[in-house]
Amino acid sequence: MDAGLLAQYVMNGLMLGMMYALVAVGFTLFFGVLDVIKFSHGDVLTVGAFTALATFAGLRGIGIDYGPINLFAMLAVAILSMAALGMLIARLIVLPLRSAPALNVLLITLMLGTVLRESVRLFYPQGANPKPFPALLTQASIDLGRFNLRLDNGLMLAAGVLIIIGLQVLLNRTKLGLAIRAVAQDEETARTMGINFTAVVLITFAIGSALAAFAGVINGLYYNEINFSIGLYLGVIGFSAAIIGGLGSVYGAILGGFLFAGLQTIGTVVLPFASAYKDVFAFAVVIAIMAWRPTGLIQEKISERV
Amino acid sequence: MAEARQKTSAPLWPGLAALLLATAYVGTMLAAEKQRTIIALLGFGIAAILLAGWLRLLEPVGRSFADREDALGALSIAATLAIGGYFREDHFVLLLVVTVLLYSVATLGLNIQFGYAGVLNFAGASFFGIGAYTSAVLNTYSTVPHLLVLLIGGLLAAFIGSLLLLPVLRTRGHYAAVVTIAFALLLKTFLEVSDVLGGPQGMQVPGMKLLGWSFNDNITIGRLSLSFYMSYFFVSLLLLVAAFVLVRRLERSWIGLNLDALRLDETAARCFGLNVARWKIIAFLLGNFLIGIAGALFGMVGGFVAPNNYTFADSLILVSILLLGGIGNPWGLIVATLIVVVVPEKLQTIQEYRFLLYASLVIAVLLFRPEGLLPRPVRRYFPGWRP
Amino acid sequence: MAALTKLLEVRSLSKKFGGVLALDRLDLSVAPNDILGLIGPNGSGKTTFFNVVTGIYPADAGSVIFERVDITQAASRTVYRAGISRTFQRSRLCLSLSIFDNIMIGNHKRLNQGLWFNLMRRSDFKRQFEESYQAARTLLDVFEPRLCDRIFEPAAGLPMIDRRRIEICRALINEPRLLLLDEPSAGMTHEETNELMDDILQVRDRKKNLTIIIVEHEMGVIERITDRCIVLNFGRKIAEGPYRQVAADKQVQEAYLGVAL
Repeated sequence: MDAGLLAQYVMNGLMLGMMYALVAVGFTLFFGVLDVIKFSHGDVLTVGAFTALATFAGLRGIGIDYGPINLFAMLAVAILSMAALGMLIARLIVLPLRSAPALNVLLITLMLGTVLRESVRLFYPQGANPKPFPALLTQASIDLGRFNLRLDNGLMLAAGVLIIIGLQVLLNRTKLGLAIRAVAQDEETARTMGINFTAVVLITFAIGSALAAFAGVINGLYYNEINFSIGLYLGVIGFSAAIIGGLGSVYGAILGGFLFAGLQTIGTVVLPFASAYKDVFAFAVVIAIMAWRPTGLIQEKISERV
Repeated sequence: MAEARQKTSAPLWPGLAALLLATAYVGTMLAAEKQRTIIALLGFGIAAILLAGWLRLLEPVGRSFADREDALGALSIAATLAIGGYFREDHFVLLLVVTVLLYSVATLGLNIQFGYAGVLNFAGASFFGIGAYTSAVLNTYSTVPHLLVLLIGGLLAAFIGSLLLLPVLRTRGHYAAVVTIAFALLLKTFLEVSDVLGGPQGMQVPGMKLLGWSFNDNITIGRLSLSFYMSYFFVSLLLLVAAFVLVRRLERSWIGLNLDALRLDETAARCFGLNVARWKIIAFLLGNFLIGIAGALFGMVGGFVAPNNYTFADSLILVSILLLGGIGNPWGLIVATLIVVVVPEKLQTIQEYRFLLYASLVIAVLLFRPEGLLPRPVRRYFPGWRP
Repeated sequence: MAALTKLLEVRSLSKKFGGVLALDRLDLSVAPNDILGLIGPNGSGKTTFFNVVTGIYPADAGSVIFERVDITQAASRTVYRAGISRTFQRSRLCLSLSIFDNIMIGNHKRLNQGLWFNLMRRSDFKRQFEESYQAARTLLDVFEPRLCDRIFEPAAGLPMIDRRRIEICRALINEPRLLLLDEPSAGMTHEETNELMDDILQVRDRKKNLTIIIVEHEMGVIERITDRCIVLNFGRKIAEGPYRQVAADKQVQEAYLGVAL
């Protein structure tokens, strides 16, 4: 295979992996602190992306059309509002239902995801159609041999990597991160050690949702369009990635995200006749991995006491 | 709770009265045409139920249905036939009724998987679609007798379901959820890119032919002219009755007990001899079998199949029916199916919003009344039986 | 065939959870019709022992032999079929199911599980149902006659003592040869516990073929009904013998109290 083409595939795989990893980390964080699967996570990404788009349209409307400023504003609005939404969901729905069977939370968040998705489709102007997303990053590119590296992709990838590193730093080197990990390990002990459980949970949900918003904007910039079901798709992938990595493990989520992207890339190369089959291939492998290692490649925390 | 202490069986008439009122209500609702009438009827219905609950009229009805289920079941069939007879010339209404009947069969299948065995299936509509596509392909390209086509549709759905099963068995609830969601998304994409199966446009499905009688022709008997949907109506009703009886007997047997045991406490169930994997498999396959058959018949009724009718959102509608009606209660299921299918059709203004509406409704139910509209009562192996 | 001297024989049984050695080369045996007490401080491995024997956790080393058959790596349901029943430390009833249903869960191996039988041969099924009802009722009557009239009501809302009774009925309905009782007295008063023990012994006298291993913290129970005790600490056996003897053992006292009396 042509080196340039190979490099293109690799670049694409890295971008996708980064996006999936961002979503997967959210799932794993939520499961870690609360033992819940928040199925609406993917749709929060959608809302984030559309919020960014609305911000852009709004700014344009009042005459502000300078790329970097718009981008910054979009990111800020999307991230902050999704963080708020995440906290709201945690406060109103997930926390109150902690004692209910896990199934109920799964179902409720699934339905919540539908509410978010349908709301976008119905209430955003022309929400049912794919919406063009502005290309706000530089359009320049460099030629590296036979590979044409688009600078905007490079920027996004770098940004994503920085965020993931930042998250790891947060979790492993800060007091907040310690509190999150403590709550994830053992809620009761964490409480008795003086950690404000509710606050930690809310912050965790805020962080996870903010990551989703960021991923949503990146997704829009990468594909230059967004549609109302993008969150569902990314959510399922993110969730699968989190599972094969081992729910509760942040490393696992990141690993899972890049693994899934890798599988999709292999699928595209091996089955060039229809791009849809790449997903069939990737999911088939995921299902096989789940059958082989039901608790993920990195062990999921065991919680049942017999 | 006082049921078991009663020494005599509950009387028939409360259940009968409720049935008659319900039939009249449903008939009126189906016949109504103006949006204002429909909204008024809906309001009236909700108010009536709330009032009956407040006046404690619902308990005798419940006991009546519990003890006299066989008789009331037969009367329900008669009531359905009456509705069918009344609307014998109305294509639209009959199609709606057939849809309710077949969706009920599908949700009964889902109920076996989820309500009894606790196995999550978020691809119910996909398996329904597999059945429908089976009809499309076999009816178009082969001369397989159509009753056999129904059977094959069910078996194919069961078979494909079994492919998903291995990972589902070894894993916990949320893993099963993602496997079936992924399957739902994948199948739709697969159908869309597959030219053989008609791609995004889908395929036509030749109508049912039974013993030379083509279902798609209107029927004339003497001076009676019946909609061609009548034939489908009878077959669908038959299917629903069979499925209902099957599900009932399943629940009221040691098998039903096994499924409940493994759903409620898998570890303890194993310690008392239960082969958890085996029963999950049986429940999943049986459920998909029913869903597939219903789908196959529905394909013939509708006349065409397309990937857009069997999406993940549609699977969520089926799950919503289950949660709204009361998990594990077949009567609740049928009532919920009736509501979920008929109301958006009648109230055209809310058609677009139906996914949003039902998702919100389910959230409300899960928060405030998780047991659903008609909660599942304690198992009574033989209704009316006293020691 | 020589008479069975050891119904259950456990040799060098070990089980590790991560870094924790829950069972440390445990040797144990029970003679038929004996009542063996299993005691020890919290976390000494008593429940883990039950869990390993009943196949919930696989053993890491050692062997478990029941009636001369090796059941060390057997799955839970195989252990059940072999004739071992158990109760759980925290009550594990299906609260939304009726009392009858809960008891019947324990009767699994005696009920016909075939699809055809259950779905089609309804009159045969009805007969088996009625027989099972009689058996359940008779057993429940030993423990609490007042529950018999409510046998088709949900188990939810019943006080702890009744739930324990139902759990024990569930374990006894299939006439096991070995019964593993895990802290049956938890959550009950002295009188309730005594009553429960008397009822269990009554069933045992009727059957004449029931061996019991009982994990307990309430020493009064152990003293009263067991023939012999085994004391565990950190997964190892530290004493064995009749209760009086074991209670006076210095090592046992140290294990419980931190210091020998």
